[in-house]
Amino acid sequence: MKVRIRRFDGQKAWWQDYEVDAKPSDTVLDILNRIREKHDHTLAFRQSCQMGSCGSCGMVINGLPALACQTRISELKTESIRLEPLYNYKVIKDLVVDLTDFVNKHRSVKPWMIRKNPQELEEAPMEFKVTPDQNLTFVQFDYCIMCGLCLAACPTVAIDPLFLGPQALAQAYRYIADPRDEGFEERIEILDDSHGVWRCHFAGACSYVCPKGVDPAKAIQYLKKEVLKYRLLHKKKASVKPAELIQKPPPANAPKPPPFDFKIEGGE
Amino acid sequence: METLDYDVAIVGTGLAGLRTAIEVLRRDKGRLGLRVAVISKLYLMRSHSVSAEGGTSAVLYPEEGDSFELMAWDTIKGSDFLADQDAVWRFVHIATQEIRLIERWGVPWNRRADGRIEQRWFGGLSFPRATYAQDKTGFFEMRALYDTLLKYENWDRFDENFVTSIVIENNEFKGFTAIDLKTGNFRYFRAKAGVIATGGAGQLYRITSMAASSTGDGYGLAYNAGLPLKDMEFVQFHPTGLVPRGILITEAARGEGAYLINKDGERFMKKYAPSKMELAPRDIVSRAIMKEIMEGRGIYDDNSGLYHVWLDMRHLGKEKIEERLPFIREIGLKYLGIDIVDQPLPIRPTVHYNMGGIHVDIDGKVLNANGSPVKGLWAAGEAACVSIHGSNRLGSNGTNECLVYGYIVGNDVYNYIEKERPALPNPSQNILLAEEDRIFGKILGKESGGEDVYQIKDELKDTMEKYVHVYRTGSDLEKAVIKIKELKERYKYIKLSDKSRIFNYNLEHALELGFMLDIAEVIARGALLRTESRGAHARLDYPNRDDANWLKHTIALKGAEGPLFSYIPVKITMWKPVARVY
Amino acid sequence: MEKEKEEKRYKSGLLRSLRPYKFNLERYTYTLHRITGVILILYLIAHVFEIYHLALGPVAWQQTMALLSSLGIWEKIGLWIIAGSALYHGANGLRLILNEAFGMLLGKPVLPEYPYTPTSLSRNQKIAIYTIVVIVVALWIWAGIYLLWGLGII
Ligand SMILES: Cc1cc2nc3c(=O)[nH]c(=O)nc-3n(C[C@H](O)[C@H](O)[C@H](O)COP(=O)(O)OP(=O)(O)OC[C@H]3O[C@@H](n4cnc5c(N)ncnc54)[C@H](O)[C@@H]3O)c2cc1C
Ligand code: HEM
Ligand code: SF4
Ligand code: FES
Repeated sequence: MKVRIRRFDGQKAWWQDYEVDAKPSDTVLDILNRIREKHDHTLAFRQSCQMGSCGSCGMVINGLPALACQTRISELKTESIRLEPLYNYKVIKDLVVDLTDFVNKHRSVKPWMIRKNPQELEEAPMEFKVTPDQNLTFVQFDYCIMCGLCLAACPTVAIDPLFLGPQALAQAYRYIADPRDEGFEERIEILDDSHGVWRCHFAGACSYVCPKGVDPAKAIQYLKKEVLKYRLLHKKKASVKPAELIQKPPPANAPKPPPFDFKIEGGE
Repeated sequence: METLDYDVAIVGTGLAGLRTAIEVLRRDKGRLGLRVAVISKLYLMRSHSVSAEGGTSAVLYPEEGDSFELMAWDTIKGSDFLADQDAVWRFVHIATQEIRLIERWGVPWNRRADGRIEQRWFGGLSFPRATYAQDKTGFFEMRALYDTLLKYENWDRFDENFVTSIVIENNEFKGFTAIDLKTGNFRYFRAKAGVIATGGAGQLYRITSMAASSTGDGYGLAYNAGLPLKDMEFVQFHPTGLVPRGILITEAARGEGAYLINKDGERFMKKYAPSKMELAPRDIVSRAIMKEIMEGRGIYDDNSGLYHVWLDMRHLGKEKIEERLPFIREIGLKYLGIDIVDQPLPIRPTVHYNMGGIHVDIDGKVLNANGSPVKGLWAAGEAACVSIHGSNRLGSNGTNECLVYGYIVGNDVYNYIEKERPALPNPSQNILLAEEDRIFGKILGKESGGEDVYQIKDELKDTMEKYVHVYRTGSDLEKAVIKIKELKERYKYIKLSDKSRIFNYNLEHALELGFMLDIAEVIARGALLRTESRGAHARLDYPNRDDANWLKHTIALKGAEGPLFSYIPVKITMWKPVARVY
Repeated sequence: MEKEKEEKRYKSGLLRSLRPYKFNLERYTYTLHRITGVILILYLIAHVFEIYHLALGPVAWQQTMALLSSLGIWEKIGLWIIAGSALYHGANGLRLILNEAFGMLLGKPVLPEYPYTPTSLSRNQKIAIYTIVVIVVALWIWAGIYLLWGLGII
């Protein structure tokens, strides 16, 4: 199998060809590991989980951003593979790109649980009451593995480096749609910006390449709707039903394992 | 060399590391203004914990029949009575609070219709107490913790910084040295308190469910700093790893009712664990599968040349699979093109967890060779061995250990700094310069020698896979010890082809290999010495548990000629060992 | 020097932004919407300029008209492209308004299921796009015929 990789060593850049043997069941990551171990030790690429859940191995495979560990050779249906670092990021070395901006954008939308009474996040005698249906409103967007493929696919990120990008916006919506969260107004101020939701023109490429089905484009369009509602109709709340806290039930007697042979020490 | 000053330095950002960082910052709330450095050799959110699938055990609803005693009993029985019972007792109590706390931070636990948290069966449990978020439990937990950490201000992230050594002088922790992979610069993290949360060492084996980054660096760091490792010979094999590479098919599949089937279409677990069947603890199921394969009832896979058995989920129905095991379905489709809705999966045991680890006390403080704490150093998560899991961890007891010990260690670190007000340490420069020279002079700069890092790693994996697997024998283990010794000798003559500074993965892999060889030696030698079968350590030549001689923890210390072993008693405070039948 | 070039190559650029090759249908509509939007702006400027001559008196207006008719068939082709742009931009713009302001055609949040077809790019969206294409093309052909009629060719 012929593999052509865009190399960069910090100074100069070039295309390099490798000839590797491959089984159809191999993933692109297997091939890359084979190259690094058997052919060229200097090739740099990221990897960790090898099962599509850590987000390390994003790269452009035959022109489309994808996870290397999750792309089988047989799916590609081509004679040769062309690998490039992710588009729209600064390349550091070979297939390794700089994700600093990416993680900062994510952080800037306050992707954490916000409660009006912060004490509720500090101790938890019981859980929130969330029905399976309520779970559905946000779990899809919680699937994000922060691989950054969506930003590589996005035509708007390509011309506006300040655009928050699909990942961060989808994460903002993940919390806004969560019935346990109360940070709606705080986040809307950040999102309602020319580099925020309004920069998105719904090319949908993010959803197209997302390896986890997060569908960030959907989240962003929903966000726009929320922002409009907030601004035009002066609605102060997100359109999700807030979850209530469950009260702690009185303790009851439970069946016991074999009796202790000793007195317990160190229990609390 | 660049020196960075912090109050607390945390290495490793799996569940354990993140939870510790959050706990320190949460306790502090700007009171002491503690500055925390969070260091990982990957991007923070990429840690191996994201792969955890099945569930996290905790007693949530005692009114429905579960109890702390029951969970403690399950854990201790599962550990084959090698767990320290005082630690288990404490652990089961804190787990409950942790589940609910991370629920408030965003984990989307699966719910019952009435809005409360749903739980399910897992191997070795007497009550369905594995709390789960589909079959991506660890992933959602990581997300919630990472997101919550972002909320705090007083910390700095050091993504892709590879820690190379722990600086310890006079039994006092003085910081970590690291390479910043992005620039190749050498860094010294000077800190008042350090936490090691570097996870396990699954990469010692070829067929493993663990990430490429799980190379056991934490064990190697401690071992090379002269600190003892505990119970390293206990390596957990998860029964259901997908053939060929060992990707994990979660135990939750069996928790939901999947069958294990051999060549003859027989549910063979009835021979090995008649009452629990497929839901017996992992060591027992793994042995059962290996036995079936050894006795010729396995199925041969042409593609990989491996024998396997089937994991059958067809009778669960599409709806249940989609709701509770969507990721397993995805893995089957993605890697083998098999849809579990209408075909069984080929599986065999895969390396999954290291029960052993850095010797710590019940508060997570790292202990030195004399059994007293090293000032200012903690360990948590899979890297540490408290020991809660003894010789065999129960499924769904790994992630909660990380959470519970993140909580305990975070608090302990904070209390230490609050009470003792330690000053920033001042190590002698020689130590740092020697470390810098070891890496950049002796390993990166070396022009002689011709050994190849990847070749040695390959041979190491083959050795471990062949000789230190589910079933072990004295003669196999001896062969392994000799081979590892030879590899260690050859390791001295490695030469790197990549001489650059930025993202020199070649250098990183060489350093990791150094750690891996050390750990492999400790595992093989420790297993050779332990002449009994207990939990995950099964010797064909000593098939029985031997409480008279071996109800004790193994302690390994680095010596001039390989590891030196000693033993310490198990803390038994609640239940005396009894026969372990399921 | 080389380094900067490489950074630029991978960083960004209008070209990458407008090149939907290999990607999804919506990214093609995005590119087209952009281009037609720009055409419409250019036309608007030109049109304002044209109307402005009306204020300068009949002579100036006559001259402008003469200039335009001297373009011959190109004037009509230009108008035809502008008509097409307006048609496509308007129709697709309506779809985008449904998407963006009303959250329509996107599907509800779901549990993603391998192989993960995003609902926002699924059936409803595609139906909307194909409908737009059919209507726009039909009207555009009609506009072409109408223009040719005006020229007296047909
Ligand atoms: C496939 C799989 C499924 C599992 N499923 C379950 C389950 O269902 N339930 C359950 O309870 N448990 C499960 N476990 C076990 C559980 O996931 C692990 O025990 C737990 O995640 C370990 O977390 P950790 O924080 O200790 O380390 P890890 O998550 O492994 O993190 C290690 C961290 O250390 C960093 N690091 C390592 N070396 C260095 C170095 N030299 N320098 C700098 N940083 C370094 C890494 O970058 C990483 O950030 C599963 C494990 C596997 C393999
Ligand atoms: C029927 C009338 C029109 C409708 C319904 C319409 C609709 C829209 C919409 C919804 C957008 C936003 C696209 C997005 O957010 O993705 C847009 C963008 C735009 N429109 Fe229009 N529009 C119309 C007429 C015009 C006219 C007459 C002009 C020219 C003056 C014009 C120029 C533009 C430009 C330049 C853009 C920016 C394109 C981009 O950013 O991709 N539009 N239009
Ligand atoms: S939204 Fe999808 S493509 Fe974007 S970072 Fe998350 S998982 Fe990756
Ligand atoms: S290696 Fe983790 S996603 Fe590919």
